[in-house]
Amino acid sequence: MARRKPGTLLPIETEILEAALAMQRTQQATFHGFGLAQTLREQRGSRSLTGHGTLYKALGRLERFGLLTSTWEDAPAAEGRPRRRLYALTQQGAEAAERALAARPAPSATSPVPRLAPKPA
Amino acid sequence: MTPERIATLVARWARLYTRRLPAPIAERRIEELGADVHDHIAHERAHGTGDRLIALGLLSRLVRGLPADVSWRGRHSPVARSVVRVALVTAAILLVPLVAMQLSGGVAWSPADFAVAAVLIGGAGLLQQLTARRVSDLTYRAAAGLALAAGFLLAWTALAVGVVREPDDPLNAMCAGVLAVGAVGAVLARGRPRGMARALLATALAQALAAAVALVASLAGGPTDRLGSVADVLGVNGLFVLLFAGSAWLFARAGRGSRAPVPAPHRSGHHDR
Repeated sequence: MARRKPGTLLPIETEILEAALAMQRTQQATFHGFGLAQTLREQRGSRSLTGHGTLYKALGRLERFGLLTSTWEDAPAAEGRPRRRLYALTQQGAEAAERALAARPAPSATSPVPRLAPKPA
Repeated sequence: MTPERIATLVARWARLYTRRLPAPIAERRIEELGADVHDHIAHERAHGTGDRLIALGLLSRLVRGLPADVSWRGRHSPVARSVVRVALVTAAILLVPLVAMQLSGGVAWSPADFAVAAVLIGGAGLLQQLTARRVSDLTYRAAAGLALAAGFLLAWTALAVGVVREPDDPLNAMCAGVLAVGAVGAVLARGRPRGMARALLATALAQALAAAVALVASLAGGPTDRLGSVADVLGVNGLFVLLFAGSAWLFARAGRGSRAPVPAPHRSGHHDR
């Protein structure tokens, strides 16, 4: 596992913030764990989804840092399936994501544009 | 291998690594994972993915997340974190003689030596962590640290070089008695500062008594140069008497105005992750 330098975010945390920012820009204010895992897979152009432990540990850390908030989905909205934990970017998180995006080198014209909004499960 | 079987495995693993964590933390993780796994299976089936591939995907996510699960568990379980910390420090200390053995013929530790050292260092470390977790008062912590350091040094000296003459001299067995006085006293005091002060004072007196017995035996047994110098016996034992007495004094200071150790603030993890 990557070691953290004080005051810095791990790559997975930056990826999550960037994905959350992209979703926010498409009017998708909240996201859930599996939807995020799909988004991250598409962002990376990877075949595999992020490991359960890696994903939820990173989400927990971002929430602890005040970059994300979360609430449980309402029971009626769950429509019989297990209710999801819904995450949303905070103002501080959006600023951190903006900074991360600004620090990233510009993608080449040939690189695929990831689909950032998760499909409904 | 079906997705449902792997889903059950994921749920069992989640219940295992969240065991004995505060209920809100454990329930949130278990429920969130349950929703994730359900969504994963539903999504893949809706896209026509075969059950075998879905199961493999789930298993892969489970396995790749294991290190993070263990690390997350450690963060939410201060006791586990303390044990890991003590184990790492103990291992680091024991690396010193291990490396020295490779570089010099003068250092020759047997596996039993390493085992005894691990028990002594690890035991002292765990007791120190236990004290630090239970008590916030700095004087009490200093008293306990001094008592632990003195006890550790006494045991180490008795086993390694001998407080009285050589390590295999029967008189060194008195050190076990001295430590037993301290241990029994601490149990009877149940950690209360004034009781601990009395226990450590009794330990210091037991150490002084052991020194007196050693001196009498030395003088009665023959020339002092054969038995180790009187100054050595007095010096080594006197040091331990001072350390135990110093700890007793610190406990007594910590006990002024309080009858029970001041509990340390609760430092468990956040309840929502």
